[in-house]
Amino acid sequence: PLNPNPDSNWSQYFKDNDVLLQIDKDTRRLLPEIAFFQRPTNYQCMEIINAESETLRKRVEYTVLNAGDVGKNWLGITNVHQKKRSLPDEYATLPEGQEAHWEVVERILFIYAKLNPGQGYVQGMNEIIGPIYYVFASDSDKEIQEHAEADAFFCFMNLMSEIRDSFIKSLDDSASGINATMTNTMLKLKSKDMRLWLKLQEQDLKPQFFIFRWVTLLLSQEFPLPDIIRLWDSLFSDEKRFEFLIDICCAMIILVRDKLIDGDFSSNMKLLQNYPDTDVNLILTKASDIRR
Amino acid sequence: MAKQYDIIIRLLMVGDSGVGKTCMLCRFADDDISSTHVSTIGIDFKIKTLTIDGKKIRIQIWDTAGQERYETITKQYYRRAQGIVLVYDMKNEESFKNIQKWMKYISDFAPEDVELILVANKSDAYNSERKVSKEHGEMFAKEHRIPFYETSAYMDMNINEAFIMLARIVMKRHKKEIDKQMEHIRLFCREDSDAHIIEKQGKDNNGCCVLM
Repeated sequence: PLNPNPDSNWSQYFKDNDVLLQIDKDTRRLLPEIAFFQRPTNYQCMEIINAESETLRKRVEYTVLNAGDVGKNWLGITNVHQKKRSLPDEYATLPEGQEAHWEVVERILFIYAKLNPGQGYVQGMNEIIGPIYYVFASDSDKEIQEHAEADAFFCFMNLMSEIRDSFIKSLDDSASGINATMTNTMLKLKSKDMRLWLKLQEQDLKPQFFIFRWVTLLLSQEFPLPDIIRLWDSLFSDEKRFEFLIDICCAMIILVRDKLIDGDFSSNMKLLQNYPDTDVNLILTKASDIRR
Repeated sequence: MAKQYDIIIRLLMVGDSGVGKTCMLCRFADDDISSTHVSTIGIDFKIKTLTIDGKKIRIQIWDTAGQERYETITKQYYRRAQGIVLVYDMKNEESFKNIQKWMKYISDFAPEDVELILVANKSDAYNSERKVSKEHGEMFAKEHRIPFYETSAYMDMNINEAFIMLARIVMKRHKKEIDKQMEHIRLFCREDSDAHIIEKQGKDNNGCCVLM
């Protein structure tokens, strides 16, 4: 562990721990509006439950503990404090033998990061895997539930192969990068609704302020989960899905055009960053219109 | 419609991922007590209206994503900021070390007259969890001659104080412009209210518009 060589296995191990802690933080707070990810899985991964080697859960615990230089009685002490102040323990987990859904998601993301060292883990990937895993793990068919982890991993890998460029900083300015997508969305808007486009220009409402997140996360932070699933159904079934995504973003802007035309900079920023409750079908219909 | 004549100041929050920037901001702007927030992707935006020294101030606060991938996006906002909140997590030594990095970005990308404060968040931590002592934070702040606060978004400690302190020093720094704006507002508000009355009368007269 003291080997200072940056290529040493231990150095890699510590680097991985940093990634793991980041993933851990993000998966624990995955889709906090629903309780699903905090619940135990119905089908435990027995290899993990009975693992002799270090599980990710243990690894996170050790890493957090080691970083703290704490004594042996650390657990005892915090428990006392905890009762007194009823503070939620940041690193609480389900009892041995049970795993929460978020822990499965954590494993998927960690393995993805290990398999793609050039890219690693980028915040936001958690928001992409979340709905995918949910669909499999909450299926009424027990067999699908049982294989949710593997299926979600497979689908996530495939989807990432298509959208990974928006997670890579150095590709921002490439043809497939996020900047090109944002520019295309604004150009589309300009061709569909010049007045609205001018208004956004005049207020200096840059696409980076809202479209950046819309595109990077495929809108998963903008709508409640059932709406995201509906939206993704249409999106993924489309052969030209990323052009369609641009149309959807455009439709979303146009659907609130009256408010945007009347609003000042702050209210418009708020509107676009907290998109109002809207029937997704309405957005999809509008997007199909725009496409023509 | 008088609100469009308010004085606006622009603040920015920077710091490592997970130190609680969004939490602090939600506490301050919305008095939101929920402990879980999704990770910020790119940039987030909130507004809070306050009266400071008898002046009505609208504070625009830009909340940035802490992870490196988003730095190219978030760096574009430094230029617009009048005040910056530098946040670290007192339970995370790395986030304190990285304050150096954030300071570097500020000197590279923010305007020269930008005002800063340093905030150590999560002061609700147990003593055993604390990794960065108060003295360390204070020393760093002193060295750079910026105010320092230990806050807890969770327990709502010092959050308002920190933001208001920054707003005050930004106002002090831009006193001349703000006084000018205030004068402007005084004049405009008067005109505005007159215009409002006339517009109403105009509407009664079959919608004719009366120009001043």
